Amino acid sequence: MVQCFVAECEHSYSKSQCSFFRLPSDRKTRRTWEKLSGRPPDSSNENSRICSCHFMGGVKSAGPSLFSWDRERVSYLQASDNGVKEEPEEKDIVRPQGGPGRPTNNLSLLIATLDTPEGDEAVEETTVHFKKEEMESADCLIAKMVHTENNSLIFRLRGVLEFSCQLDSSNETQGQSAISKSFQTLRTRVSSESLVFSVCSSPVLLWPNKSFHSTVENLTEGAPYRDIQQYIEVEDGGSKKSSKKKDKKDTGPSVVNLKLLLEVTESGDSASLSLCTVTKPQHSLKMPVCVDCVFSASGQDTLGSVCSGLVGSLCNQLSDMEEVVLKYRKSTSLLVPQPFHFQLPESAGLVTVIYPAGVPDSQLLAVREELHEKYGLPSDRPCFRRANAFHFPDEAYKDGYLRNPHTHLNTPNVEDAKLYVVKGVYSYHHYMQDRVDDNGWGCAYRSLQTICSWFQQQGYTDRAVPTHTEIQQALVDVGDKEPPFVGSRQWIGSIEVQAVLNQLLGVTSKILFVSRGSELASKGRELANHFDTMGTPIMIGGGVLAHTILGVAWSEISGQIRFLILDPHYTGGEDLQTITEKGWCGWKGPEFWDQNAYYNLCLPQIPKTI
Amino acid sequence: MGRGYTAEECVEKYLTSLSAAAGSCVTGLLIGQSSAQKDFVVLAVKTPHRESEGSPGGRRVSSPLDDIDEEWVAEHARQVSRMLPGGVSVLGLFLITPPDLSKEAQNTLKKLIFAVDKYICKSRLWDLSEDDVTDRVTLHICSKTRKAVCKTFDVKDPKCSAKPADWRYQSGISFSWPVLNCSVRVDLQIPVTDSSSEKCIKDGLRRWAKQIEAGLCLINGRQTSDDSELLSGSRKNVKTSQQLTFRAQILVSEEDPGAGQRCSAVVQACSRSVSVRGTVHCRAYIHSNKPRTRHAAQAIKRDVVDTVSNRVEMLLEDLLLNEGGNDSEQQDLPRRVFAPLSGSGLTVCDYMFPDETPADVAERFKELLDWDSAEGDIDTSMEAPACRSAPVLEAEDRCGDEASQPVPPVSPTEPVKKQNSTQYYAGVAVAAAVALLATATSLLYLNE
Repeated sequence: MVQCFVAECEHSYSKSQCSFFRLPSDRKTRRTWEKLSGRPPDSSNENSRICSCHFMGGVKSAGPSLFSWDRERVSYLQASDNGVKEEPEEKDIVRPQGGPGRPTNNLSLLIATLDTPEGDEAVEETTVHFKKEEMESADCLIAKMVHTENNSLIFRLRGVLEFSCQLDSSNETQGQSAISKSFQTLRTRVSSESLVFSVCSSPVLLWPNKSFHSTVENLTEGAPYRDIQQYIEVEDGGSKKSSKKKDKKDTGPSVVNLKLLLEVTESGDSASLSLCTVTKPQHSLKMPVCVDCVFSASGQDTLGSVCSGLVGSLCNQLSDMEEVVLKYRKSTSLLVPQPFHFQLPESAGLVTVIYPAGVPDSQLLAVREELHEKYGLPSDRPCFRRANAFHFPDEAYKDGYLRNPHTHLNTPNVEDAKLYVVKGVYSYHHYMQDRVDDNGWGCAYRSLQTICSWFQQQGYTDRAVPTHTEIQQALVDVGDKEPPFVGSRQWIGSIEVQAVLNQLLGVTSKILFVSRGSELASKGRELANHFDTMGTPIMIGGGVLAHTILGVAWSEISGQIRFLILDPHYTGGEDLQTITEKGWCGWKGPEFWDQNAYYNLCLPQIPKTI
Repeated sequence: MGRGYTAEECVEKYLTSLSAAAGSCVTGLLIGQSSAQKDFVVLAVKTPHRESEGSPGGRRVSSPLDDIDEEWVAEHARQVSRMLPGGVSVLGLFLITPPDLSKEAQNTLKKLIFAVDKYICKSRLWDLSEDDVTDRVTLHICSKTRKAVCKTFDVKDPKCSAKPADWRYQSGISFSWPVLNCSVRVDLQIPVTDSSSEKCIKDGLRRWAKQIEAGLCLINGRQTSDDSELLSGSRKNVKTSQQLTFRAQILVSEEDPGAGQRCSAVVQACSRSVSVRGTVHCRAYIHSNKPRTRHAAQAIKRDVVDTVSNRVEMLLEDLLLNEGGNDSEQQDLPRRVFAPLSGSGLTVCDYMFPDETPADVAERFKELLDWDSAEGDIDTSMEAPACRSAPVLEAEDRCGDEASQPVPPVSPTEPVKKQNSTQYYAGVAVAAAVALLATATSLLYLNE
């Protein structure tokens, strides 16, 4: 079977409708093509093919130029790629800073060939064309791509407004109207001319309500929304010494952050300063209201329409907040309303929900049930817990752990194989993290931590990832171990992992036992089924070292299998490149397992809950 | 190398004109602007006579230096500070003594400098930045030889010793100082408890001041956060002798960095709530020696904060004097009026209560700045006179709960009446001033 030679492309003769081109025989050109495809020099052979999806207009003479890692053109590829649905959404959204098998200079080469205005236009046209054609067959996939689509951009407006309200102590019933009135004041404020949007990392200021005034002459109301990007300075890590223009192509924002400001100066004359005193016993309520609005701009949107869209959603958000504040009010106690954005499966935009601060998810079940019903979502998986909130691509995870390193790997080349991988987000836990020297004994603990992080980030639990000591204590608590076990450096195995998951998270697990590692090669169906239905990381331990299995590539026809392994024995820093290149996270063949040792696999089962 | 002070020529004239009566001393303020490279003194003002002296002749003091009323000098400095636009401040003190007191004079000046600084700082709502010069200037002048000794003290360090500084005169240094203007809308709601109303109001203002300080300042529509020069670009086209006017804009975020992550609203039981609303006119001057935009922004922001806090403070002082008055109503804060300061390119300001006239202002200028202003010079147009009709109802409505609040009886004719009366008062004031001047002149002649 022939699969596309390009890194990260899974198109193959049998599954994709695209045509396949041979690489040129001329060595120099071929090397260029190899480089562009994210492969090492001379890695192609006469059987290597590149599918037409990488060629502008599907014409070979144009040379390969469209690649999934080039964000601008990503939708092109994905639009015709409806065979693989197991890919987690994050892969489409979180782009690696420097992808695997992609030397930096290949990028500049790419830009050198494409960074002309004409080139850009051509790409745009093709994309639009494709969208129309593929709309029916690719259905939801197109919709999902909205955020990463060639010319789509998320505008995210954040800011703080001060809510201030005086409640008459003697008159309880008027409290509600006083609160509503204070929210009305806030809405008036953001609808006034004094509202200013400051575009982060740029000198651009916009007055959306002041007949669209802007500090930059060219940014007029009718300007295409993308024009704003040229004024945004991309923060460079400092490692790459390439020119700004190239960086923009590479890490350019798919999110434009705006900050809400209010102008306090005014030009017109108005009332002189006065001091007004109201003497009566009252309660003064003050809280910061953090607004957070998003607007996905695409197509014909102009800066004017983006801004008025944001002002509109700002007002709506304040109304939603008012509702939540009133709903959870207890006399003079008001809970701070907090907005969360959720990207729903098979939905285009982001849904913003306001939750009252301090009320745990467990007490908001009724609200979530309503939301699940409203958006027609199945009620077996959490979608609206706070942990499910959309992670904006430009925001780093603050805890320092890597998320889903496997998404940066190339898929293994196994004929007829389908991919079955973990669903959702986990963090990579391994040796020596958290200032714990567990080199040589903590691998199962780390694997368990990775599993716990998955449950936490999928919203199943609020519980933080347990430390070694907490894990040991849990085992003592269930009576599995004696008290001296806490603080020791003793190994644990799959059965213990199962017990801890049950004890700390209330998660049950299935145990799969193989008496010899060689048998694992025949467990493809079970594992595939697990990732299909549960999608949780698997901890594997037993006679030898513990690992985490994140997925399998398995062919039902041939029974061939590759295991996606996350290795907890890694002792280095959180360096994605090392981890993926040195195989700490990587695809392994059946020979990876000790053929004669026994193994226990702990397969965590997801509870049916929302 | 000490600091270098460049003083306006009129300061020299003024200082020369001051003559201490035999065996006594004269104190006064030196006013101007400090910058990292150079300091400018544009005005010198002697401390006015304190009218109600406790027991002047009661006890013979050993030295006339002990006669100097530290508190009075500091109070004068504070009152004068209120009259200064943004960017201009009290930089230090001068002291004229007979020759035999030259040595002790330095100690006295140091004491005074620290007292004045402490007093001014107390009512200030903004904090000094790293750029701020904390050296204060003292000028000791021998009444006989007219020899002037200029020294500085660092008010940050109470143990500091006097550092020599350079003092010289130059004419017209402030004529081309660029001026920044803006009008700022204020809308503050401050809960007040009975026990500490003044503190509550001050805390409320301080929070607002922090917002302004942290705000983004645009000058002529351009951002100022960088180190750019204020006059770059405009300088080539315009003659340097001409005074440039800049328009400032301030954009704030209502973020409260001190608030942290709260789950619920802050509830405060209070007996009253005070709201400060309206628009204030702000003005700041910045020296013309390659000024940075960020310094200009800082000057105008501080003026915004000062002009509001000064007025509230004045009203509170007034209320204290009037034994609280009756609450539950709207009080007009004084209007800011401006007057061009002769001998410089600057204007000074004053606050005029609704029942006052420009004549009152002129009188205060005379008393506090030792300056005879022409009444016609007093510009009352920058801030509208208090108008107590429609906005009052709205403000009242927003203060309390709608219907429960009785509408204060307001006669719509009042503002009209007031404007007329202003003119009338102005006339009276001119007459009064003329009379005063006549008296003063006759007194002078009598003295001779």
